Amino acid sequence: MQELAARHRLRWWEALPWVAGLACFFLFPTYLAFGTQVLVTILFALSLDLVLGYAGIVTLGHAAFFGAGAYTVGMLATHLGWTEPLSGLLAAALVAGLIGLLSGWVLLRTHGLTLLMLTLCTMALLEQAANMFSGWTGGFDGMPGLSFKPILGLFEFDVLFFRSQYLYALAVLFACFVVVRALVYSPFGRSLTGIRENVLRMHAVGAPVRARQVIAYAISAALAGVAGAVFVHATGFVNLAVLGLERAAGVLIILILGGHGRLYGAFVGAILYMVLEHTLSKAYPTAWQLGLGLGLMLVALYARNGVFGMADALRRRWSAR
Amino acid sequence: MSAGAAASARPQGGALLETRALCRNFGALQVANNVDFRLEAGARHALIGPNGAGKTTFINLLTGVLAPSSGQVLLDGEDVTRLAQARRVKRGIARTFQINQLFRGLSVLENVCIAVAERMGAGGGMLRPAGRRTEVVEEAARLLDTLRLSADAGSRVAELPYGRQRLVEIAIALGLSPRVLLLDEPAAGIPSAESHILLDAIAGLPREIAVLIIEHDMDLVFRFAQRITVMVGGSVFAEGTPAEIAANREVRAVYLGTALDA
Amino acid sequence: MDVVSTLLGGLAAGMVLFIVSVGLSVTMGLMGFVNLAHGAFAMLGGYFVVYSMRRWGLAFEPALALGFVAVALVAVALERTLYARLYRAAELDQVLFTIGLVFVMIALVTLGVGPESQRVVLPAWLAGQTDLGFLTYRTYSLALIVAGTLLMLALWLGFERTRIGAKIRAAVDNRRMAESMGVDVGRLFTLTFALGSGLAAVGGGLGAEILGLDPQYPLRYLAYFLIVVAVGGLGKVTGVFFAALLIGVLDFVLKIYFPKGGTMFIYALTLIFLLARPQGIFGKRGT
Repeated sequence: MQELAARHRLRWWEALPWVAGLACFFLFPTYLAFGTQVLVTILFALSLDLVLGYAGIVTLGHAAFFGAGAYTVGMLATHLGWTEPLSGLLAAALVAGLIGLLSGWVLLRTHGLTLLMLTLCTMALLEQAANMFSGWTGGFDGMPGLSFKPILGLFEFDVLFFRSQYLYALAVLFACFVVVRALVYSPFGRSLTGIRENVLRMHAVGAPVRARQVIAYAISAALAGVAGAVFVHATGFVNLAVLGLERAAGVLIILILGGHGRLYGAFVGAILYMVLEHTLSKAYPTAWQLGLGLGLMLVALYARNGVFGMADALRRRWSAR
Repeated sequence: MSAGAAASARPQGGALLETRALCRNFGALQVANNVDFRLEAGARHALIGPNGAGKTTFINLLTGVLAPSSGQVLLDGEDVTRLAQARRVKRGIARTFQINQLFRGLSVLENVCIAVAERMGAGGGMLRPAGRRTEVVEEAARLLDTLRLSADAGSRVAELPYGRQRLVEIAIALGLSPRVLLLDEPAAGIPSAESHILLDAIAGLPREIAVLIIEHDMDLVFRFAQRITVMVGGSVFAEGTPAEIAANREVRAVYLGTALDA
Repeated sequence: MDVVSTLLGGLAAGMVLFIVSVGLSVTMGLMGFVNLAHGAFAMLGGYFVVYSMRRWGLAFEPALALGFVAVALVAVALERTLYARLYRAAELDQVLFTIGLVFVMIALVTLGVGPESQRVVLPAWLAGQTDLGFLTYRTYSLALIVAGTLLMLALWLGFERTRIGAKIRAAVDNRRMAESMGVDVGRLFTLTFALGSGLAAVGGGLGAEILGLDPQYPLRYLAYFLIVVAVGGLGKVTGVFFAALLIGVLDFVLKIYFPKGGTMFIYALTLIFLLARPQGIFGKRGT
């Protein structure tokens, strides 16, 4: 009985992603800008996993929170001259989390197609609002050329080689991952899994289903906001693309490809997708879209649990021999 | 450790669970027709009737899954008609479903742990891992033990034979430490070779709990029930002790005289 | 008179939205299937019209008719081979599949024709202006308004007065009950999917002057199609009609007075409306 209850214990291979992350810093010094983008995307996908993979809420509008965090940092820097990065992260998390709390409380009264559509609407609403209030947000062109104070006053953002950006993103990802991992193994996280597996049953055991969903949605939004903030810190600009359907659909695809509800699916999916996209999409963009589309159709039909799901299936087949 | 520790609002000699003139209709279709029903503490009560008589609907009305068109549901003298399902669970009503409603991808232990955690108010905790909540895990393990499911504790529910899944369904309901337990056709789908496990489980239910069981298996009904209610077309057709019901000619007519020769 | 011409412009755009979206509303109401690829059928219709007019020298009207048939056939093929496997699948899988399908169609069109936007050459009788007495207005827009209204009436009659229409309405209301009464919901769905996609194709070709025609079409208007369907109510032709007109007029007006980001009001209004009334204008509250 005791080992069953010990699911949350750390296993040795859980150190691997972080070791690999640090190794990349030394092994690929010229690819750190790309690496930083990958880290930001992993964090974004991780936040989506909390609502989608664990709470089972299908959303096409998660970029709303990524964008909220990004614009918070951008606007603080541009209009208030507030360029301290760590407090910017906190502000981004708070703003995005608040928007997530409000929109979740209101949207999660619906489900199915209506909910999906409303998540799209919320994101489109924010996107057009950013377009309209261009005095605040820089409109279509956004706010380019932002620069930020050194992290903790010590580590300057390295515009040429992205060294501090990469390590900064890695550190933030690590901190957020610790939070998500703890949440997932907590009773709260287990109840989210219960809600996803059988919402009827959860009501019948007296769980406050909607409250749990809204809280999960808000936390996930805050994390997505942090990802958006790191994005702006690292790249120095923000524009409407942080709020678009492309980014929202992209992170959904990434999470599914890696495997949702698996904590590390975000890592696998983001690395796989972005490496492939980086190499193939530049050369043959239309062929990339065609291949991606076909891949998605195949995944939906045959491999809905992504890479992790396929690994599970293989493992089961081998141990059955 | 039971739910609903508030002082009983029940008047002297009142029932633990009661409905008064409970009605529910879908347009012209009357699925519950002026149902007056009483369940005493410690009762062993069976609800029988032909298919489509409205028995599961009645359970849905009792638990709050369905709202009545009129009438009242009272728990311990308190009017709970307007209360949502989750709140009634906290007050002490638990049910099992006719078709298993389990967390199929999770282990048996986890299934019961989720229920126990909710009952203990620990379901929303974010700080400590679920596995470290020893009170929850031990209580869940104890429940699995009483239902002889300990060997399956680590197996995924989806991998269990249907009969054992049915037991998990009961374990979850018991994990909620209910005062009232509503079992919707617990024997349904269990092959007769395994039904003794279920019978033992039901016989072993704590004496203080009021149990209402919907069943078609007359063997089980007559072995278990102290009182039987017969429901036909959404209305209470007859009620009494097993001997009275068995002797009731109209009840026999309704069942075509087959199953009641116990 | 500015108000009237603005109104007419918005109504014309709304009609296009209606023609494209009505099929989506019925198929979603019937099967509960989240088909995000519906806009791609409209796009295919538009490209078919352009292609057949340019390469085969067809006139506008026969091109539309042929486009209807061609896209309906493609839709049936896709439905029978691929869509049908996902009817019982989780919503997430349906979303992924249809997004993938959209990507494939966009890519194929880009590879086959190119990423530039295409123009549909309107026939002479549609190209000019019509004198209404108090106003002269583009014949094309007026024709759209008339066509959309006629289509709505035809569909409404079809649903209310024919046996097939009654079957569809029953199945949308309560699929299980309809099935137990002997309605072959699967075949009904193939039929409505084909018709709905064919109509979308007509909408794509007919509306190319207003909504444009380029490979990004299905994604650019995805939110609008979904909004029209959700606000109108699944499977409710009249609801979709009014919702489409409303969105069309709003979008037209907002783009004039708030060219940057004005459409945010549409999203805000949709949010408020659907939260108050998730079943749509004419939908019924789910049990």
